[in-house]
Amino acid sequence: MLKHFIHQFTKTEVPYLQIGGKFFLKNPELATYRLPQKEDYFGIFLGEIRRNTFFPAVGLLDLLSQISVEKVVVNQHGELDFLYGKHLRKRHILSITGTDRPGSLKLVQNEHDENLGYGILAAEKKGSQQVLRHILDRGIFIQRDKNPDSP
Amino acid sequence: MDSQTFFTQRYQEIGGSLERIVLQRCIRTNTLRISSNDLQKRLAKRGVHLQKIPFVKDGFYVSTSRFNLVSCPEYLLGLFYIQDAAAQLPVEMLNPLGVVLDAFAAPGGKTSQLACYAPVVAIEENKSRFQKLWNNLERLGVGNCIAYNMDFLEVTTGFEWILLDAPCSGNYMLEPGWVQKNSLERILERSYIQQQFMHHALSLLKKNGVLVYSTCSLEPEEDELVIQSALDTQHVHLEPLSCIGDPGVTVFQNYRFDPSMTLCRRIWPSKHQIIGFFMARLRKHA
Repeated sequence: MLKHFIHQFTKTEVPYLQIGGKFFLKNPELATYRLPQKEDYFGIFLGEIRRNTFFPAVGLLDLLSQISVEKVVVNQHGELDFLYGKHLRKRHILSITGTDRPGSLKLVQNEHDENLGYGILAAEKKGSQQVLRHILDRGIFIQRDKNPDSP
Repeated sequence: MDSQTFFTQRYQEIGGSLERIVLQRCIRTNTLRISSNDLQKRLAKRGVHLQKIPFVKDGFYVSTSRFNLVSCPEYLLGLFYIQDAAAQLPVEMLNPLGVVLDAFAAPGGKTSQLACYAPVVAIEENKSRFQKLWNNLERLGVGNCIAYNMDFLEVTTGFEWILLDAPCSGNYMLEPGWVQKNSLERILERSYIQQQFMHHALSLLKKNGVLVYSTCSLEPEEDELVIQSALDTQHVHLEPLSCIGDPGVTVFQNYRFDPSMTLCRRIWPSKHQIIGFFMARLRKHA
């Protein structure tokens, strides 16, 4: 499932290790510092499987944004709106690269090419200004601070 | 004797006071992601004005901000961590040159700061605090940390660099009603546990290795007494700390501490305008 998600953005392989249902970026140098006990967190968290569904982590999106062209770059207004969980509209968009096929996953980047999250390209409808449907953004960190049990 | 008088008197004995101050909000640049100069410029564009903290490397006072810093994109992007100036000092005083053990890691401020110097093995026993550590490591994009949700006393691997930021009773600047909630009995209980942690940490420290012990407690039983127990029973000595703060105390009530205790640093809120703190740097004999 991790591989399937990655392949929607790039053909490049991302080496990973699995701890339970959680995935982390493989890092042989860091592995030399392991204790004899089983670790709970290792380097960059890539995501996890819950109820048979893969949920990517922002660390994976960060990584993908360095190797994938599947991006939507937004202006400052779009950055704030997206981080508040809103869908992106035409007025938010600076550029779109990669495929323009509706239903494609896109990384959402700010003007500094920093990853804010990801979403799915919306189908063009007459009169609709919506370009990308929001899926995940970095505002998740605030939600988790408020409610530690949230994923 | 009421609590207020009890703490006022004991602080006067060691050159401090119970005076409350207004704290300025502080942040630390996450240099894994951005330089301090660039962060200052980016936040200025949002109307957040920073002023360099003179005694730490990457810290700023927040002079003005029109909104809660937690809601700004730069926070969510992990470009900075909200951290009191005093709490930024222990990592700078450790200055690790190799893999470091962070014994009580949550919520992750010092862990992520350590990661700017060297790889980190982070330990946190409490499950909900471990989640906070996880959240911060992820937000700050720390890629060189392995974290364990386990009891520090179960660690058996040796390290050349250890940060022992021990759980403590805190200080009067950190929580309202702290003076009423605390007592000598509670402080001595803490001290006993801290000495256990110190002895275990020193058993893990390799020869010629360095350990920094820090607490946000101003009580000599949680600070100098813990260091004294290390000096008395382990092959370690204190090293100088080049940072702000008063020297550690050598005499307190019935206690007589080693003269080298003056190499430790205690930070009084009323003197340094930041939260109370204590730090010591110990090196194990080769």
